[in-house]
Amino acid sequence: MKWRISTGILSLFLLVACVSARGEETHATIIYDDHATEISTANKDRGQLWVTTVDLKRATGFELKPQGVCRNELCFPVPKPRQQEFVRKSTGKTWFNVVAFALLVHQPVVHDEALATWYFGLRSDQRQGLSSLEAPDFTLPDMSGKLHSLSESRGKKVLLLTWASW
Amino acid sequence: MPGWQAIYQQLKDKNFEIVSVAQDTNGVKDAGPWITAANPTYIALIDEKHLVSKLYNMVNVPTGVWIDEQGKIVRPNEVAFVDDRFKNFSGLDSAPYLNALRNWIEKGDKSVYTMSEERLREKLAVNDLNVILAAAEFGLGEHLYKSGHLKEAIPHFKEAQRLNPKSWNYKRQAYALSDAKSDYGTTFMDEVEKAGGSKVYYPPPDLKPAAAPKDKKPQE
Repeated sequence: MKWRISTGILSLFLLVACVSARGEETHATIIYDDHATEISTANKDRGQLWVTTVDLKRATGFELKPQGVCRNELCFPVPKPRQQEFVRKSTGKTWFNVVAFALLVHQPVVHDEALATWYFGLRSDQRQGLSSLEAPDFTLPDMSGKLHSLSESRGKKVLLLTWASW
Repeated sequence: MPGWQAIYQQLKDKNFEIVSVAQDTNGVKDAGPWITAANPTYIALIDEKHLVSKLYNMVNVPTGVWIDEQGKIVRPNEVAFVDDRFKNFSGLDSAPYLNALRNWIEKGDKSVYTMSEERLREKLAVNDLNVILAAAEFGLGEHLYKSGHLKEAIPHFKEAQRLNPKSWNYKRQAYALSDAKSDYGTTFMDEVEKAGGSKVYYPPPDLKPAAAPKDKKPQE
């Protein structure tokens, strides 16, 4: 019996070592800019969430570029000495830590453990509108599904009015 | 909404637009009948994710914001009643607000009801991390609810309510999606009572005519 237990303990140790080195593979739902993306293979590691750069682009629109993490003209440089907190290579793929990135850009992230869902809130650049006093723009559908942007009413005085049925 | 349509009819030829946005997680299903009944000619949008409340840090409905021709906020979030239907509850007359609105449409930035940049910044400043986190918890709750997981959504709605106790939207929208008594151990009216009554629920709009700083500029 004794050797069985020690083998068990040994394999447990190996498992723990493995997990701490590589995290835990998981399915993930990422909600970014209020848009949900299913990620079949992500990696959960001590509160961090790693996705491949392909999934990063799919879920957030951001890409890794020499100048930083970019989407169109918006770029956030990654501090050089902290590179390994954000990017790592394994299984022939480049992985990116989306939770660390959110912290870097002062973006709230909340998470539902049971449903493996991560919700990313407004980045600091998306919250600047109010202090500049510029009315934050948005695009939403009317009842027929036709999209309208607030900025289409530029040139007029606008009463923006929220209400609800509840 | 029929009230706003009447106001819009009176003012629309004065370079004025109303953009109304329904903060309803169930979208057209819940908000649609109201819009159909009012049949407005102003812009009436559906906001399932409460995006506008998130972007403007609104905590209740109805909330109005005045935006000038350049897209600049000139009066921030405040309660905006078009009639006196809720006067018994709120104690608020709609007339002073509507008069102020008309004054602005006529006078633009010369209106005493537009606010100085300093005052606007003071009113709009949000540096409270909890408020930002609350919006994320609410967003996560909404997503889980919409994907068929009401039970899992409730703890996130509760967390949003805890992190931003000033938001009535987080409470009322969540209560409307389930049973407030059994899922949240409370009711809307209990919450209003606890907060200090309807004066706290609907803080009256700040309509003291400000000495408009722009009027103090030397004459050209």
